Amino acid sequence: MKKEKKNKIVMTIIIGLVCIVFFAVMFMQFKTIEETNIADIKYMRETELRTAISEWKSKYEDTQKQLDANRKSVQEYRKSIEKNGEASELIDKDLAESNMLLGKTDVVGEGVIVTLNNTPDCTITYFHLLELVNELRYAGAEAISINDARVVTTTEMTQVIDSRMQVSGHRIASPYVIKAIGNQTYLSSTLSLKDSGFIDRYKASGMDVKLEKGNNIKILKYNGDLKVKYMEEVKR
Amino acid sequence: MIFIAIIMGCILGAIIGIYAPMVPYTYSGYLAIAIIAALDSVFGGIASTLNKQFDLKIFVSGFFGNAILSMLLTYLGQKLNVDIYLAAIVVFVGRMFNNLAIIRRYYLEKWTNHKKKVSTENIAQ
Repeated sequence: MKKEKKNKIVMTIIIGLVCIVFFAVMFMQFKTIEETNIADIKYMRETELRTAISEWKSKYEDTQKQLDANRKSVQEYRKSIEKNGEASELIDKDLAESNMLLGKTDVVGEGVIVTLNNTPDCTITYFHLLELVNELRYAGAEAISINDARVVTTTEMTQVIDSRMQVSGHRIASPYVIKAIGNQTYLSSTLSLKDSGFIDRYKASGMDVKLEKGNNIKILKYNGDLKVKYMEEVKR
Repeated sequence: MIFIAIIMGCILGAIIGIYAPMVPYTYSGYLAIAIIAALDSVFGGIASTLNKQFDLKIFVSGFFGNAILSMLLTYLGQKLNVDIYLAAIVVFVGRMFNNLAIIRRYYLEKWTNHKKKVSTENIAQ
């Protein structure tokens, strides 16, 4: 009697569980079918769907390939742009340097200022200036000006009349202020070398020479024209 | 008591099924064939109950075994490119109709017997 009851309870539970599983699966299926977009799929055979999928896949792959190629070319363009940028930067730098060396721009930097004054004992001639400029160049001066007339490659220094000189087309007179930008120590020590230096030599002969060092010497640009008329580059 | 269990099971199962995650459309075919197999087992169980031959072990093993076996067969058919699930459906649905016929006949007999009884009682009166 008791065993029978127990059996009945077990049976009830098992049948209940079976019902739960059955209905759960059934409703899951109902839901799936309902929520799938049947309107599109219902009338399409599986093969059609497959071909459609493969078509889309190949299209996708093509597009992907194209995208990759485009990305690559974009990268190449970017690289070349960078390269061009670098090249033009280099050219700009070169140009700026050349302009500075030529004297086409105002420049500033450390250097020395030499002031020459006429004295009754010694009148300064263009030869003195030439010698000084030469010595400054020897000491590594990068830019030189005499009374704010920039000394460039075409600069001439001539005597006009006794106490007047012409430098780069400017007529200048005493006092002569020669500014030079370069390594301060080199410049000053070269100029003030014992016996052979410019200062020592001409001080002995009674010239009024002053040497100053400066950290922020400004030299103005050459204000004439630097034109090439007759020469041209030799082409190899 | 069993009826209560069945009804409770149905309601609980429905709730679980509604809130369960969706099955991908690709696998819903397997689920469908499993449902058909299970339904067949249920009708078989009802029919055997009416014949007083119901065995819980047979019912449960048939319920789950048929469902899993039919799913496996469907999978095999897909691999072989043969629609085996059609055969499964034919078998299960055929058996379902058989069982339904048994159930129908049982109740029809019961009903006619009852009617006869009533009419004989009426005649007797």
